[in-house]
Amino acid sequence: MELPLTYVLGFSALLFGIGLFGALTVSNAIRILMCVEIMLNAVNINLIAFGRYLTPEAATGQVFTLFVMTVAAAEVAIGLAIILMISRRRDSIDINKMNLLKW
Amino acid sequence: MDLMLILPEFILAGLGLILIGVDLAARQSKRPVVIVGVLGTIAALAAVVANYGQEPTDLWGMQLRHDPFASFFKIVFLIILGLVFLSSGEYLRKHRVRTGEFYVLITLATLGAILMAGSLDFITIFLGLELLALPSYVLAGMRKNDIRSHEASIKFLLIGAVSSAIMLFGISLLYGAAGTTNLQAIAESIPSLAGGQLALLSAAGLFLLVGLGVKVAAFPLHMWAPDVYDGSPTPVSAFLITASEAAGFAVLLRILFVALPQLAEDWQIVLALVALATMTFGNIGALAQHRVKRMLAYSAVAQAGYVLVGLAIATPAGASAMLFYLFVYAIMTIGAFGVVIFLSNHVPADEIKDFIGLAQRSPGVALAMTILMLSLAGIPPTAGFFGKFLLFRAAVDAGLVWMGAAVVLNSVLSVAYYFRIIRNMYLREREPGTRLAAGIPITVVLVLAVISSVLFGVFPEPLVGIVSAISFTP
Repeated sequence: MELPLTYVLGFSALLFGIGLFGALTVSNAIRILMCVEIMLNAVNINLIAFGRYLTPEAATGQVFTLFVMTVAAAEVAIGLAIILMISRRRDSIDINKMNLLKW
Repeated sequence: MDLMLILPEFILAGLGLILIGVDLAARQSKRPVVIVGVLGTIAALAAVVANYGQEPTDLWGMQLRHDPFASFFKIVFLIILGLVFLSSGEYLRKHRVRTGEFYVLITLATLGAILMAGSLDFITIFLGLELLALPSYVLAGMRKNDIRSHEASIKFLLIGAVSSAIMLFGISLLYGAAGTTNLQAIAESIPSLAGGQLALLSAAGLFLLVGLGVKVAAFPLHMWAPDVYDGSPTPVSAFLITASEAAGFAVLLRILFVALPQLAEDWQIVLALVALATMTFGNIGALAQHRVKRMLAYSAVAQAGYVLVGLAIATPAGASAMLFYLFVYAIMTIGAFGVVIFLSNHVPADEIKDFIGLAQRSPGVALAMTILMLSLAGIPPTAGFFGKFLLFRAAVDAGLVWMGAAVVLNSVLSVAYYFRIIRNMYLREREPGTRLAAGIPITVVLVLAVISSVLFGVFPEPLVGIVSAISFTP
């Protein structure tokens, strides 16, 4: 018996929701990056599931997933570098304290 | 496959790599980097122009497409890149930004924007978007000893990463509904969708709109834009406000006109309301600012609202007006930022009151700024006026008179804050300071910007002819 597609989609939607909720509520910059990774993993599950169930003869979904993973890695590398630069200067990566630029 | 058609992309990618080498070799003066950068941009521009008349062609397994639409945006991006190169040299030296890294990153970001404009597949759109976004995060934080620049960088990074993830989720749902990531194939599959697939499609549309709405800073997702544009180094702000937003609009146009034209009635009203709110909030926000770059950032939000009007009209005339407006807007804005860069090279120029007395200290620059401000406000006979007129006419022709009226009312509102700068320059005195002289590169940028803002207002026909000949559906 095969797992129904809706189960997989429900799982990825849940994962995306957790990631988005975290990204919007957490104040630590590194945690936000981790939440974004969770959101991107939800995307990857979606892409692979759709690829497997709907278009098994084409590899579009899987190829897209590889690109998403690569870009996510680059994004995290740049993100951590920026966070490192900030933590050297102000000993905190709490984004609620970054309030010089407002209105 | 015709490699000549992707020559501009190759030239830019090569330019990015060559600039790294040139930067390493040029230890004392960074002038070679500037010269190579400008020459490379001109070469890429020449390649785009040479290819302009070629037949529309699909390239690389339908990942990229060569057509006048893509070429038009490529020209816009390359002009922006060239003008940013020219205007930034002295600023980078004075504010201790690393010239080589700046040039390499901004070249690669432009390559990303060009790929976005040329792609007809969500995979390439995503890759282009990230190639534009990742260097931009770094560029925003290039003033390493300025804490405001750090803040702009981290805000941009976090907002950008979250919005990319939201957009990707939308793309994955669209792939699930249509079974393909190619925009044309999506359009072909839409009539046969039913039931759950339609639900997926509307969810996908929502996620896509939110993700791209953040990228083009549309209300209510615009709050990051003033912070980032204010904190970034000024040449980077100029680049982001023009190239990054134009690239977002290029992708929106492609998605809405190529992939989802059958749903025009659904997205039209949403975009119309977003456009109205974006221009109004942008203008009201700009009225309240006392920092120059922040005011220009809010005015950029308002201008994005005008451009969205063209999108919401959903007719080829509206889209043509949008292209015209994006082109002249990019040049006017780079010019205005050129003035801010020029001023900040000599004196602190963060506040609008720093413009007081500029007419005495540097009459030429003050005149240029006046013309650019008039054009941004949309006073005839400038290019900004004609762009707004085209949008107005397209809205009225499409039966959306209230949208045309909103554009007019908003541009009246915007006159107030643009005139504040002009008044400061001319009507308010301050103790006479030293005269400020502009260097040759900045002068070239300002002259080009002023000439085009006047020229395309007085003789708009050639440019109108070009944009109305561009077809939006392949």
